[in-house]
Amino acid sequence: MKRNILFTLSRRSVMLLMLYLTSLGAQSNDLLESISSEMKQFNEVATTTKQNENYQPYIISVFQGEELEKLGVLNLKEALLLVPGIDMTTDNFNNQTPIFRGSNSLSYGQSKLFIDGVSVNNLFFDAYSEYLSFPIEMIKRIEVVRGPGSKTNGINAYAGSINVITYAEDFKGFESSDKLVFKYGSSDYKMGGFFKTLKTDELKLFIDFFYQEDDKKLPSGPDGLSRGVLGASNIPLSRSGDAPVWLKDYSLGLSLEYKDFSIKARMLEHEKGSAYGINLALPQDSDRVKLPSYYLDLDYDKKIGDFELNIDAGIKYDAFDSYSKLAPDDLNLSNIIFYDGIYGEHFAAQRTLYHSFYIKYDGFDKHTITTGYRLIREETIDMISKLSNRATGDVELVDYSDTLPFFDKNAKRNIFIFSLQDEFWLNNNLSFIYGFNYEETSYKDAGVEPRVSMVYQLDAENIFKAIYSRSHRNTSWQEMFTMNNLARVGNTDLQPEIVDAFEAAYIKKISNDSHVKTNLFYLLNKDQIYNSSTSPEYKNAMDSDIYGFEIEYKGNISNLDQLYLNYSYVTGESYIKDEYRSESLSNVAHHLAKGYYIYNIGRKLSLSTTVKYVGSKSRVSGDTREKVKAYSTFDTAMRYKNIKHNFSLTFSIKNIFNSTVKFPSAINTYLQDYEQERRTFLVTLKKEF
Amino acid sequence: MKKIALLFFILVSYVYGYTYNKLLLKAQASIFPKIIMLDKKLYEKLVDGKIVYTIVYEKNDYYTASEIGRFIEANYKNASTKYAYKINLVEFSEFSSETEATAIYVLNSNNQVQELVDYAKKKGIITFAYDINYLKSGFLFSLMLEKSAVIYLNKDNLNSNKIDFVDSLYQIVNFLDKSSG
Repeated sequence: MKRNILFTLSRRSVMLLMLYLTSLGAQSNDLLESISSEMKQFNEVATTTKQNENYQPYIISVFQGEELEKLGVLNLKEALLLVPGIDMTTDNFNNQTPIFRGSNSLSYGQSKLFIDGVSVNNLFFDAYSEYLSFPIEMIKRIEVVRGPGSKTNGINAYAGSINVITYAEDFKGFESSDKLVFKYGSSDYKMGGFFKTLKTDELKLFIDFFYQEDDKKLPSGPDGLSRGVLGASNIPLSRSGDAPVWLKDYSLGLSLEYKDFSIKARMLEHEKGSAYGINLALPQDSDRVKLPSYYLDLDYDKKIGDFELNIDAGIKYDAFDSYSKLAPDDLNLSNIIFYDGIYGEHFAAQRTLYHSFYIKYDGFDKHTITTGYRLIREETIDMISKLSNRATGDVELVDYSDTLPFFDKNAKRNIFIFSLQDEFWLNNNLSFIYGFNYEETSYKDAGVEPRVSMVYQLDAENIFKAIYSRSHRNTSWQEMFTMNNLARVGNTDLQPEIVDAFEAAYIKKISNDSHVKTNLFYLLNKDQIYNSSTSPEYKNAMDSDIYGFEIEYKGNISNLDQLYLNYSYVTGESYIKDEYRSESLSNVAHHLAKGYYIYNIGRKLSLSTTVKYVGSKSRVSGDTREKVKAYSTFDTAMRYKNIKHNFSLTFSIKNIFNSTVKFPSAINTYLQDYEQERRTFLVTLKKEF
Repeated sequence: MKKIALLFFILVSYVYGYTYNKLLLKAQASIFPKIIMLDKKLYEKLVDGKIVYTIVYEKNDYYTASEIGRFIEANYKNASTKYAYKINLVEFSEFSSETEATAIYVLNSNNQVQELVDYAKKKGIITFAYDINYLKSGFLFSLMLEKSAVIYLNKDNLNSNKIDFVDSLYQIVNFLDKSSG
């Protein structure tokens, strides 16, 4: 009986097993297909959001907005100061510019800034200081590529590129909440902003808006008159005092997606104090510079079989708009006395039109080929040049737009770029990207710029990269078209700056969330553009060889915390062409070290500390001032998050120990370097919906 | 002062949580439950006819563990799968030989996981880990977001008497063996 039961059970089991195996066979194909499809989908999200940054064929650091908020970071500028190899510089407009790996600290446009993929460098300076105050709460992620190796799609990054991703980015299952933010801080800083997403099945609309202002002033002087920039007779008129570096700006951004079409638009009105004066004379508190930036970008993206088509077109507008007192009372210019000083209004508006067409094909085994072109039309569309009467010394403004313009109102440039790239996967562990950009302009051409990169993954923990790339920086409008100015003289015969970059990287993955990244770089910069008060015409003055390394660690000490550290070293030599001599890199900090530590006290509270060290900087040849001193700053922040009501409150103190932070002033301008803010505080209230 | 500091750290250790990669968590929570169904001997591991997916976590990762659980439950609520899914949340400190599991998924822990691994191996429980480093401790699967998403399997940890996956699974995973560790 017992045997019969066992036999029956056994037979039933075998039958069940057979039935199970039969159904499993049919099911397993569906399951494997589903797993493959999901892996592909997650891979796409990871690639787009740079979560697989370590496997990308360039040197990249990615910072998440949420993490930066925990650190009490105020804006894009403060975030960039955490990136390995990046330092900040400024000038007499307070046109702050990140310096990547010590590359030509005296010019702008060494790096490109993209907001949601749209290049926003202004045409006038080729800079983006108007975006450096972009509040961190509006930023989902910042991707910073050092070196030129990131682009072969028609946009040249020279020393590096910064891609700011706003919360307009959206993936199914990873939607961001709508947000409302208020901030208050030192210098009567006030900010309010929000973003919101509206969605239907086929249409997505995203809007962000912010307004911010402060009344910041920074100690400065003696101003440039003390160095004789307006003549020896005016040296006694030199002043010291507070430089107006106040800020007032607002921005409205819009992103619309419908099927394969998308529109991105932004209107940024950026107004700031005249800082150290456009003629190096300390301006009045109310004097201002406006740097508005608008763009409208239309995009069509379509997948057809093995082809992916991208058609893009857009229009951008930027302007330099200054109204200020340019020189003090009783100024004497060629025996004409300006008893009430000299006032000036300078306005130059630029428009950029662009169109691109790219096609990607992955129908060949192991290859993905991308090719296409980009057309750009840049032009000045309006210019006003007004000054106090130069003939009589009368203070009233006279329109010199036709007779003595500060800028060429007919400035125009056309650019055509063709690019071709192949991504070749030799096997699962080894891949190559090779290709080139070819560029022609209506001025000097950059020509063919090749790029080759390799990523080799030895195993799950060890990744190696090697990159060679050539890139260029086209001359900025200011460098080409400025005229009738003592300090700046444009030159349309300038060659583009060219860089040949050799980079090698090694990444050690310690765990899924921690890694050590190191890279070596050697940059051969040719025809770097430079001018000075003694030689105001812009020239391709020098060639610079720059080399160094960066090391970066991200991980944690315990399950409680997050730790991030980096150190970068850069050195090199510049060859001054006119003078047939070489000098070591000037105005560059050879040592930079940054880091932060976040201690998560549950999901509600976090404490953090941020530390930055910037090494000393030597002066250019002929500048007898002492080196710019090294400095360290310590910041701290505490963040409370109320999960029930979905709001957070952050309190931060920057530069706790009140260190002196100075950015170098150029030779024969301000005697003292440009001192930056000392200890400040910030309170942020954020509500999510 | 010392007492205050001690109290502070006790409170801290009570409520802290590791900062996980959300995309990776989601990828693992989407894919791992499907791998279980590729086991030819799954019927031997069912608990009351159900697949019990046990998520083992440190106390302070409770929120993360329950989020994963909810995500999997939502995925399989109306799915036409052969077996129903049941999510079981268990703290590391409470894991024992009494813990029901068809498969175990572990979040990060500061403590040794060897006991858990030995038990799972003996019982033929399929094991998954958030962090790939756990594969060196005896876990079977992890998933990483590399240049593409990659499933890692430590074949040295596979008890073929108890676990027998369909052959085609082995074509889409990367093997990690002792030599890689």
